[in-house]
Amino acid sequence: MRTHRLIATLATGAAMLGLAACGGSSSSDDGGGGGGSAGPAPIKASKTVGETTGPNGEKATPTSALELSDSEIEKVKAGNYTAALTWHQSSDFTTAVTAGAKDEFAKLGITIVATTNANFDPGKQKNDIETVLAKKPSVMLSLPVDPVTTASAYRAANEAGTKLVLLSNVPKGFTQGKDYVTVVTDDLFQMGKQAADALAAAIGGEGKVAYFFHDASYYVTNQRDQAFKKTIETNYPKIEIVAEEGIADPNKAQDQANAILLRNPDLNGLYVTFSQPPAEGVLGALRNSGNTKAKLVSLDLDEPLALDMARGGNVTALVTDKAYELGQAMAKSAAYGLLNKKAPPFIVAPATTVTKDNLTQGYEESLHEAPPKSVLDAAK
Amino acid sequence: MSVPPTTSERTSSAETGRARSVSARLRGLDPRAYVVYIAFLLILVFFAITLSDDGFLSSDNLLNIVKQAAPISVMAVATVFVLSAGEIDLSIGSVVACSALVAAVVLRDVGLVAGIAAGLGTGVAVGLVNGVFVTLLRLPSFLVTLATMGLVSGLSRAITDLESVAVTDQTFVNVFGTGDVGRVSSLILWTLGAVVVGHFVYRHRRFGAHVLATGDNAAAARVTGIRVDRVKLAVLVLSATAAALAGLLYAGRLQGANYNLGSSDLLLVIAAVVIGGTRLFGGSGSVVGALVGSLIMGMLNNGLILSGLSASEQLIAQGVLLLLAISLTLREPKA
Repeated sequence: MRTHRLIATLATGAAMLGLAACGGSSSSDDGGGGGGSAGPAPIKASKTVGETTGPNGEKATPTSALELSDSEIEKVKAGNYTAALTWHQSSDFTTAVTAGAKDEFAKLGITIVATTNANFDPGKQKNDIETVLAKKPSVMLSLPVDPVTTASAYRAANEAGTKLVLLSNVPKGFTQGKDYVTVVTDDLFQMGKQAADALAAAIGGEGKVAYFFHDASYYVTNQRDQAFKKTIETNYPKIEIVAEEGIADPNKAQDQANAILLRNPDLNGLYVTFSQPPAEGVLGALRNSGNTKAKLVSLDLDEPLALDMARGGNVTALVTDKAYELGQAMAKSAAYGLLNKKAPPFIVAPATTVTKDNLTQGYEESLHEAPPKSVLDAAK
Repeated sequence: MSVPPTTSERTSSAETGRARSVSARLRGLDPRAYVVYIAFLLILVFFAITLSDDGFLSSDNLLNIVKQAAPISVMAVATVFVLSAGEIDLSIGSVVACSALVAAVVLRDVGLVAGIAAGLGTGVAVGLVNGVFVTLLRLPSFLVTLATMGLVSGLSRAITDLESVAVTDQTFVNVFGTGDVGRVSSLILWTLGAVVVGHFVYRHRRFGAHVLATGDNAAAARVTGIRVDRVKLAVLVLSATAAALAGLLYAGRLQGANYNLGSSDLLLVIAAVVIGGTRLFGGSGSVVGALVGSLIMGMLNNGLILSGLSASEQLIAQGVLLLLAISLTLREPKA
């Protein structure tokens, strides 16, 4: 019937639109290389050719530097404060950050009164922020989708007296200490760099690799992608990036990978900007073409990829951030704001390289949970 | 659900004729045309009670719902015409971002009037392309606008290479975003303007009748002398231009433009229009209903956020409430 056709097509159209708006999640932990390797050679940390710096070049402070005394915690508890979380999207990453923040807020007696998801649409994020302000939250944790077009919304939060703790991105024209408490982020440069080191180790330090980067204006993925590329180009002269493919629609990565594999059947390695869905798509393309040789690294933990890694498939390493720890750090920073205590301007949570050998530890550090059962079974 | 004529049956003979005509008129009303208002009130009352301590009923919050819904409302008015004519326009979401970016760039580099004209011109141009393909080549609007949706999104990304553009012109920001006329927000005035003009044209001008006739039965409309192709072209241009205006409203409110603007709007607009009583397949519709539909969608979003649910729970709750609302209001009569 015409109706049904129309609805079906509408759904397709909506899906396509949604895809266009979709973006990456994030991840990271530093510490020079993380755990062991599933590849033939152990992962060695190469020379660091850059670092994650704050929006105004601030030097990074580790999350572990944040401390609250017992009396400070009591003082925050006595305030009966409330918090709103206005995220950029919904993903494993935001879920883990939210969990970390929630647990830390519980210790501080702060209640979460609203959580939102903007799907990367700055218009929606502005609406979300305006809406939650009706609940007069004492603090707001947020990742601004876009520094320019969401600035006015955060300004309104400022004017309402809500303390702002930011994740990864800072609204244009905002001054730390005055307009926001601090910005917390994953160690983006380290994540890209560790992915490069892991891939280099897996392919023996030489060969041809394909580089699938996120073709969108998104601070988190852009920094990580560039760090991977720069590390390969600077530290691994025998590795050649033979294909650079921008992923604008993360759900179409498989088609793009099919084409790259056709043109470059002798690829040794592939880097994919984030796990779900593009790296899953690229893995699908490798399987379709019967390629069991090429090694794949991606960023963020993801069950299908971790399963392939545990089985000794194409996936050799997943570099991830300590998302849960990011959430904890944001909540602690919020307490700094409420106490009017001076917070470090730019706080970074480290990156971890997860391989077949440290799956349990990697999941615990990043998401604060055990690996999925399928992955554990396969790794046995 | 027609109104039983029990009262009129008991009236004196002198009044019988008049009463009958009233009851006949009541029976003639399509219940779906007004049940949307009941759904609106039900949701409003529901949130007013459950969120009484959460600021839902504060005048700032209620005004916010209307202001935030402004771009959706403006697009919904035009979409009533498109659906009524038996067509669909999937490109509106992408036109929002494109027109906002074009306007912001021209505003920055040339000036206010040129910026506004360029932004709206973007909409007119996309609408003309859609319309020409649909009418001259006789292609289904669904496919044509699906194609232009992708094309325009690509252009938006390319125009500034994914960079956002700030809007610093205070006049522009006042007119399209944060300004007030008297004590009324300009966003509310744009919404009212679109609805009043839209309703008038839809109900009281020949063009509205032609749109409905085209959507009801294009072949019959053509026989009666209606220039069906011209009607289709006009509604598609109208729709893209309204989307361009929505883009300007976003640019004004956010004081900047970004290629992701409007990316969640298409389904919201169509949902608003259909909940408001417009048939998805042409032939009947309501502009005022579309406004109420748009406010229902905005209110749902607002209320669910204020209820403190997680992002996933909000999506589930929104789905359940929408299913409930449309089951009550949009059930098709038995064939």
